[in-house]
Amino acid sequence: MALFSVEDLRVAFRRRGRATTAVRGVSFAVEPGRTLALVGESGSGKSVSLLAATGLLPGHAEVGGRALFRGTDLTRLTRAELRRVRGRHIGFVFQDPLSNLHPLKTVGAQIAEAVTAHERVGRAALRRRVLDLLGEVGIKDPERRIGDYPNHFSGGMRQRVMIAMAIALNPELIIADEPTTALDVTVQASILALLRRLQESHGTALIFVSHDLAVVSEIADDVVVMRDGEVVETAPAAELYAAPRHPYTRELLAAARHGRALVRPPSAPSAPSAPSGPDAGGVPLLRASGLHMSYRGPGRGEPFRALTDVSFDLREGEIVGLVGESGSGKSTIGRIVAGLARPTAGSVSLRGEAYNGPGGVRLPKSLRPEIQVVFQDPYGSLNPRRTVAATLAEPFAVNTGLPAAEIRTRVEALAARVELPPTVLHRLPSQLSGGQRQRVAIARAIALRPSVVVADEPVSALDITTQTQILALIRRLRDELGTSFLFISHDLGAVAALCERVIVLNHGRVVEQGPVHRVFDEPRDAYTRTLLDSIPGRVAHV
Amino acid sequence: MSDLLTEKTYGGEEAVRRFPAVRAVLAERSVRAGLVLVGLVVLAALLAPVAAALTGHGPDQQFRAEALSENGLPIGPSATFPLGADGNGRDVLVRTLYGARISLLVGVPATTLALVAGTAVGLVAGFFPGRTDRLLSLGTDVALSFPFVVTALSLVALNRGGDGEPVVDPVLLVILVIALFSWTYFARLTRGLVVVLRNRPFVEAAVSIGVSRRRLIVREILPNVLPVVAVYWAVQLPVNILAEATLSFLGVGVQAPTASWGNMIAEAQRTSLYQVQPWFLLGPGIAMFVTVLGFNAIGSGIRSVLDPQG
Repeated sequence: MALFSVEDLRVAFRRRGRATTAVRGVSFAVEPGRTLALVGESGSGKSVSLLAATGLLPGHAEVGGRALFRGTDLTRLTRAELRRVRGRHIGFVFQDPLSNLHPLKTVGAQIAEAVTAHERVGRAALRRRVLDLLGEVGIKDPERRIGDYPNHFSGGMRQRVMIAMAIALNPELIIADEPTTALDVTVQASILALLRRLQESHGTALIFVSHDLAVVSEIADDVVVMRDGEVVETAPAAELYAAPRHPYTRELLAAARHGRALVRPPSAPSAPSAPSGPDAGGVPLLRASGLHMSYRGPGRGEPFRALTDVSFDLREGEIVGLVGESGSGKSTIGRIVAGLARPTAGSVSLRGEAYNGPGGVRLPKSLRPEIQVVFQDPYGSLNPRRTVAATLAEPFAVNTGLPAAEIRTRVEALAARVELPPTVLHRLPSQLSGGQRQRVAIARAIALRPSVVVADEPVSALDITTQTQILALIRRLRDELGTSFLFISHDLGAVAALCERVIVLNHGRVVEQGPVHRVFDEPRDAYTRTLLDSIPGRVAHV
Repeated sequence: MSDLLTEKTYGGEEAVRRFPAVRAVLAERSVRAGLVLVGLVVLAALLAPVAAALTGHGPDQQFRAEALSENGLPIGPSATFPLGADGNGRDVLVRTLYGARISLLVGVPATTLALVAGTAVGLVAGFFPGRTDRLLSLGTDVALSFPFVVTALSLVALNRGGDGEPVVDPVLLVILVIALFSWTYFARLTRGLVVVLRNRPFVEAAVSIGVSRRRLIVREILPNVLPVVAVYWAVQLPVNILAEATLSFLGVGVQAPTASWGNMIAEAQRTSLYQVQPWFLLGPGIAMFVTVLGFNAIGSGIRSVLDPQG
């Protein structure tokens, strides 16, 4: 018999008299000791289903159907009865370990609380247990770390603390909602390994929620694919990856494969279609030489070195990937190239003309239109109070003396170029999807026909099928306009799919750079190898 | 600037379509109740001359023969004097309605003036970190540390020319004094918002397409600050209406014989005539209560929609 089974679950949210259906008739089941993955894009209802099944949704949600845990229907229990089940029998791990840990309590106290919420334990025994748990989730030197606060821990270590809390009472089931999404790829690999190990040693069942089929392939026995609040396909993992039945599953898998096709070199040396201009004569379009960046934190002590001697070239019509984990300095480089930050030493030059060194103007007005930026967060990078048309008109209004009618024509042409329907021009950013917003941001960046676009994690906030479309758009724009892109990403798959060359950063230093297929197929640096080995989905040939 | 204006000049229906928040605000029960109350007050202010014409009683006109008893005490409510009379035989209802005019006439410009000045200071302080910000923030703190009543009393004392006549119109002075004491809240609020907005990617994106600082403040930052500041206007207005009443009560605001709720209440209290004619005190008192309640309901309703955590 299944340990936990959800049958015909329906969830609707009622607000101001109007009901929105979030989940329509979802069923799945997990056996003891097995791992079930719920996969879907944002808004597919995967998290809501689990929250509803475990009674964690707020009062205005209407829940129908059954959620049987060892034969008891959780949707029928009172709040007090549910509290006894949660924590003791079902443990939870959520995506953002920082906001789910109390900032003013030590990690030891928080793990202890997970125990004392359900059991009475003596002080010494409790401490013993917390130390054991910390050790079990791989926190080194637990004796010393037990009294630390969450802000002393890295993202990965915080997630380990969350896992320690989830397994504190040895529950039969752990529900992990996107537990590795906020983490770097090498950390993600270690957390997945930890979850697998714990599961084997304790025989715990695991429900793993993710938007990423590649990550899921690392851990799942069975996979449930969800879309728009419905289950589109349920299958054992091996079967699903080998022979997906539903078209949507195939689409998701294709997107995952497209992103992770490491062996595939980017479509033949798709020669920079824009021939280097006659005056380019050997000088690269953009050259960063000897960039250093250090910050002086509060108090004395050594300044933090964000960048150390970073040099690279960007040639005309080339897409260069800048990869590294968080804190590697890749965004800092992007900001320096775009003239939004000033390096402590070194300089950047465009067609041999140096700009943005220490002292002097960051980016002279004449070069402004030449270098543009696309930011990661498509929600933050558009002014929420201005329509798409107004946002796209801004570059022309500021930099050209064109009459209003001409600007309107240009804006329409620009929207067409990035495949935005004309109807969205009069909408506000809040009325657009994430992919549409990012198209607007890209359109704004290419409006003035810049020679360089710095794209800082342009797809990492998007769903995977949208990611594929945006990557295709960037490539097409390069082919049509000859624009060079500095593509900053932590996602090696996206870099492999898009870039000709790649620069690998670690702790503010360039550890390796070269053509993508060379670096990814025969990495020379140890760190690059670690990075590549951590990519999920290699085993299952996703 | 013309395109800035066209962006702003949309009709009410357009506003509802473009800003779903407007619809949500109007759906809030407390906002509706507040709008009804404030509507009543505005109506009262507008219709004050009509009431004066119907009753035949001017706001400052004294009817000693009809409205005062033989021993000089004011009469209570009657058919001709619905809320009775005051110590000088004037119609309390008509004076209360005219008082609404003074309250709005002082409160609205004073709050608006404070909004304009405070928002300007906050924009500059928030946008230029370092010395400019420190100086302006220091100025704000200094302005906040003045005691309201004492400063107001001294300013009014200074407002006497050689002949004992006020140099500046007392109503104008009251407006200025109140604005002087409420711009700081707008400045602090705006500065905090701008500091956050300044580092948002859409501002940096505007920088990288070459937008000037002036245009950055006016077109990128200001539109995101204004709705919040506008809400705060509705919150600050009742406070300022009470401030006018306080100053008039203390005799340094709107001067007799002009009717103001503050000086009416002061007169009722000073002469103890409210003991014989309670409506002398209740009329302006209730009017003030309704006004403040109305604006507070609107303000808190808007806040609960725009800031569900608050």
